[in-house]
Parts: sequence; structure tokens; C-alpha cells
Amino acid sequence: MLSGLIDYDTVVLRTKVGTKMSKMSKEMIHLLGNYGHIGFTFVAAIFIGMGGGIYLDQKVFDDRTTPWFTFIGLAFGIAAGFKSLFDILKQQNKE
Amino acid sequence: MEHPILFISIILEKLGLPIPHGPVGNGLVEQLCAPYMTYTWFTMIFLVVVGKMTLGNLEMVPGKGQNFWEILIGGMENFFLENMGRELTDKLFPMIATFALYIAVANLIGLIPGFMSPTSSINTTLALTIIVWLTHHIIGFRANGFAYLKHFLGPMPILIPLMLPIELISNFARLLSLSIRLFGNIMAKETLLGILFMLAGAFFAPLPIMILGVLVSLVQAMVFVLLTVVYFTQSNEHAH
Repeated sequence: MLSGLIDYDTVVLRTKVGTKMSKMSKEMIHLLGNYGHIGFTFVAAIFIGMGGGIYLDQKVFDDRTTPWFTFIGLAFGIAAGFKSLFDILKQQNKE
Repeated sequence: MEHPILFISIILEKLGLPIPHGPVGNGLVEQLCAPYMTYTWFTMIFLVVVGKMTLGNLEMVPGKGQNFWEILIGGMENFFLENMGRELTDKLFPMIATFALYIAVANLIGLIPGFMSPTSSINTTLALTIIVWLTHHIIGFRANGFAYLKHFLGPMPILIPLMLPIELISNFARLLSLSIRLFGNIMAKETLLGILFMLAGAFFAPLPIMILGVLVSLVQAMVFVLLTVVYFTQSNEHAH
């Protein structure tokens, strides 16, 4: 009888601890997933924008327009980086 | 990254198969025998054999092996249900769960001496990412038809020349960031372990990095899956 009670208590305690832990780690995973990729996404957007600009300048227009498409691509890349940051914020506010 | 010992490569070399000395070989057989390919197959065989061993005969009262899988698969399904909804989860659960298991196991076997992580090669991660990227566009077109293109046109018609390049760049940035994050984290772990093992392996110098490596491996697998889920959900929604 007594041992049964003790077992019940420990079971309740264990499940309480378990749910607390899983809640914390769940939140942690969500935060990591939502914010952990900010840096990479920002940099990747700038790289792709500027890479596209350099490709247009050097391969498509044969160096006739040299600095311009690179700069335009860089500007669009930076804008895309900020836009992806804005998207992350918007998605976070929606939840 | 040259590992001290890769036992599958040694076995294949003893069998007379060509092992590439660079990261990728020249001929077809050499490319198939590259370490990241052989360890990918090893991971696949491991998952299939362990699944078969533990789930060979399903029972009403589950044993140890079946319990483990029930908790794992049930937890993943609940997580997808919370984020994607019933319909998408039913459609895509096999694919995303396979990705999760494969990436987690592939990251973790790199911690055992004599093994390497297939995900520490950009080829593996880029292949996974291209599958996810194409799938999220297919989902978008199937759910919204050609109205899916409105996702790329911004909020107002007058802003289209400005927003279209920005949206396209940020969409291609997903391809790059998703693959390079996984590759970079795992390659860094592998390289650091290799260097520490070479420098002071006798004094257990790689041990703290191995503990961090377990954390990094699991977190990166989770982040990959979470971002996959987020992309699928976003492309399934109607454009604003």
C-alpha cells in the first residue's frame, strides 16, 4: 500500500520534471530554428545578389558595363537580406 | 579533410577498388567509392537494419526497441502537426522524417573514430537542400496554382520591378544558406576533431569537442527539419 503511494508520487514528480524539461528544450529548439539562420541567410542573399551582378557585368555584357551591374546587384542583395530579416520578424509576430 | 583511418575505404582498397585521393574521384567507380558516398550507404544500411531488427514483429505491448521508435516517430508527428497542419503532415511526413533520421545519424557517426559524416561534404547537403527547395515550389504550385507567383511580386503592383529581384534573391538564398549551414557546422566539427586527434589524441584532447559535437549534430538536424517545415508551410499559404 505504502510502496504503491510512493511509486505514484515519484511517477507524478517524474512526469512533472519531464514536461518541464521538454517544454524548455522545445522553446529552445524553436528559438534556434527561427533565429539561428539569420546570419547565414543575410550573407547568402548578399552573395547571390552581388554574384548575379558580377555575372551580368563580366559574362553577359563583356565588361562594357563593368561597375554598374555589380553595384546594382549588391544593392538588391542587401535589400533582399533585410527583407529576409523582416520576414523572420513578421513570422515570429504572427505566432 | 583527410581522416586518420576510414575503415570502409580500407576494406574497399583491400578488395581492389579504386579509392580517390582527392575529395572526389575521376572515373565513375572512383566517384562511387568516395568516402562520403560509402558512408552514406553505411548510414542507409544502418537505418534499414536497425529498423528491421527493432520493428520486425510489431506487438500490442511494445518492447524496448518498439517503444523507442514510437516515442521518436510520435514526437516528430506531433511537431509537424503543430506547424504544418493535418493535410501537409499526412502528405510529407515520410520524406521529412526520413531526412531528420538520416541527417541525425549521418552527423552523429562522425564522432566515432574510423567513421566520417557524409554531411561534411557539400555534395550531400546540397543534394538534400535541392530536394527540399524543389519540393517547396511544387507544393506551392499544387496548392495555389499560378497564384503562387504572387508570392514573388510583393504587396503592390507598382513595386513589382523592385520586389521581384529581391524576392528571387532571397528565395535563392534559402538554397545557399540551408546547405552551407549544415555543411559548415559538420565540416568544422570533423576538421577540429581530426586536428585535435592528430595533435594530442593520447591526452583525450578531442573529448570536450566530442561532447559539443553531439549537441551540434542534433541541433543542426533539428534546424534543417524545422526550416524545411517552415518553407513548406509558407509556400502552401495563399499570397497576401
